Amino acid sequence: MSTESPTRSQRNAVASPSSTQVSRRARRDRMVWLYVLPVSAVFLFVFVGPLIYTAWTALHETSYYQIGKFSGLNSFVRLFSDSDLPSRIWTTLVFSLGALVIALPAGLLSAIVLNNLHRFTRSVRSLFLLPWLMSQATAGTIWLWFLNPNYGPASAITKSLGFGPTDVFSSPASALVAVTLMTAWWSYPQAMLLFLGALQTIPEELRESLKMDGGGIWHQFVNITLPYLRNTIVSVVVVLLMLYVQMVTIILVTTRGGPIGSTETLSMRVYNQMFDKFDLSGASATAILLFAVNIALTLVAIRFRRKESL
Amino acid sequence: MSTTTPRRQRRIGNLLRAVPAWTYIILSAAVVLPPVAWIVSTSLKTASGTLEFPPRWIPAPFSSEGYVGLLTSTNFRFFANSLIYAGGSIVLALVICIPAAYVATRYRSRRMETLMTGILVLSMVPAIVVFIALYSMFVKTALINTYPMMIVVYTAIICGQTILFLRNFIENIPVEIEEAAAIDGCSRMQILWRIILPLIRPGIAAVAIFIFVFVWNDFLVGTVLATTEDMKTVQNGIVRYITTGFGSFWGLFAAFIVVAFVPVLAIFLAFQRWFVAGMTSGGVKG
Repeated sequence: MSTESPTRSQRNAVASPSSTQVSRRARRDRMVWLYVLPVSAVFLFVFVGPLIYTAWTALHETSYYQIGKFSGLNSFVRLFSDSDLPSRIWTTLVFSLGALVIALPAGLLSAIVLNNLHRFTRSVRSLFLLPWLMSQATAGTIWLWFLNPNYGPASAITKSLGFGPTDVFSSPASALVAVTLMTAWWSYPQAMLLFLGALQTIPEELRESLKMDGGGIWHQFVNITLPYLRNTIVSVVVVLLMLYVQMVTIILVTTRGGPIGSTETLSMRVYNQMFDKFDLSGASATAILLFAVNIALTLVAIRFRRKESL
Repeated sequence: MSTTTPRRQRRIGNLLRAVPAWTYIILSAAVVLPPVAWIVSTSLKTASGTLEFPPRWIPAPFSSEGYVGLLTSTNFRFFANSLIYAGGSIVLALVICIPAAYVATRYRSRRMETLMTGILVLSMVPAIVVFIALYSMFVKTALINTYPMMIVVYTAIICGQTILFLRNFIENIPVEIEEAAAIDGCSRMQILWRIILPLIRPGIAAVAIFIFVFVWNDFLVGTVLATTEDMKTVQNGIVRYITTGFGSFWGLFAAFIVVAFVPVLAIFLAFQRWFVAGMTSGGVKG
């Protein structure tokens, strides 16, 4: 519990062999907390404070960001009795799982291809990573321009094939599909990088021995790669789901949640309630629901991380 | 002859085995490249050329109109702002995260682990959840549209990953070096400054790259916490064309995207390994 002076640590270090040094190290020492103070302060200010404030505003009436009188759980009642909520949750599920179903296999396949490639590795890796190097805003807007119904090349192709222009963002179903595909397009390299890191830990002898036994590529994939990657797959699923559940930017720059709310995921709903409808308490209630979803995912992530590192 | 034939067969076998892989690579190129090529093409067209239909992939005539049109003080302000935010966040994040990562690695205790887990969990909270509160808190005070607040928010968002990454680096330094320094009478601060810091330089570089790219590519912070045009970021500059655009702005828009992407691409090509290391440190895997 005492502060450490140079002489003291010197005496300890000289007097004790390394086994007791560990205990010296583990000894509670107040000065240590000074080193984590700035980080803690920043987190209190940017995360803890706002979370408490969000809970507070959800429990009050608000008008134009001014907090009014206490209203109990009213905003939650409003949230859960909203007839739009089931469709928003459905949209969130379709968006997240849809993007996951595309990005996960694409990431895994890209990683396997890259890992077995002997020539042009750098160029192919750059190609695979390209979407992810762009910002989400760039990824969203370049597709918007590419799919532009009046001037875009996609429209030229569909028109020459006899379909109409690519007016994907004007109908609810196609807008949701388009936003989901764009998000998968942007995010699959992240899965690829995580898989690539795991693939490189597979011992070469294992594959060599299988090759000796005459196993084919599929055999190798099912019997070695997949079992080896089991843990990584779960963690990639969690990372991607967290990314999709909190995705705002790509939706915001392309559809803003429209048309008629068809691409409004829970995150997008928080944004729209806050900045379109100026409904602070409603946005806070939705945000707390989103936070609960996120906590559930985080718990899976942390349990998983422990298992993997120990 | 008897030795060359199997060799040739093996070579053909290798080529055949490479076919599925290259089919996949060509397919992904067909999915990844078209919008990128289209943007580059658009950026080199004249204003009327961008509105041609059916569209031309190769601009005729080539024009630097889009790029020249970018030279406005508003656009410079966007780029300057993003540089200030990125630079400020790199400095602040390193100043507060290196000591925390060091202490968390070397002075493990139950309470310290709890604190670090707390920081990690908090940094996974969806940004939009805290942004609505930050916005409504800031908008009532003088804190909105200020450089320090923007930098603090950016820093808080990337702190969790930064600490995680630096911890991995510090763990790989043998403790004996620090013990020897302690015997020589170094204080903890001196050990951190004189021994740890020089040894984790590659880690610091990777973290700096990661933070720069994160801040440069982020759209949401600039959208929510900067409400005036003179505080907006590069990404806001891109989207501005779409949301407020009228007339033929596509050439300018495409040129802006290309210019905004150049720094990230340059960093990626120059430091590919560190870049990837810094980017994958986050997420769930430690």
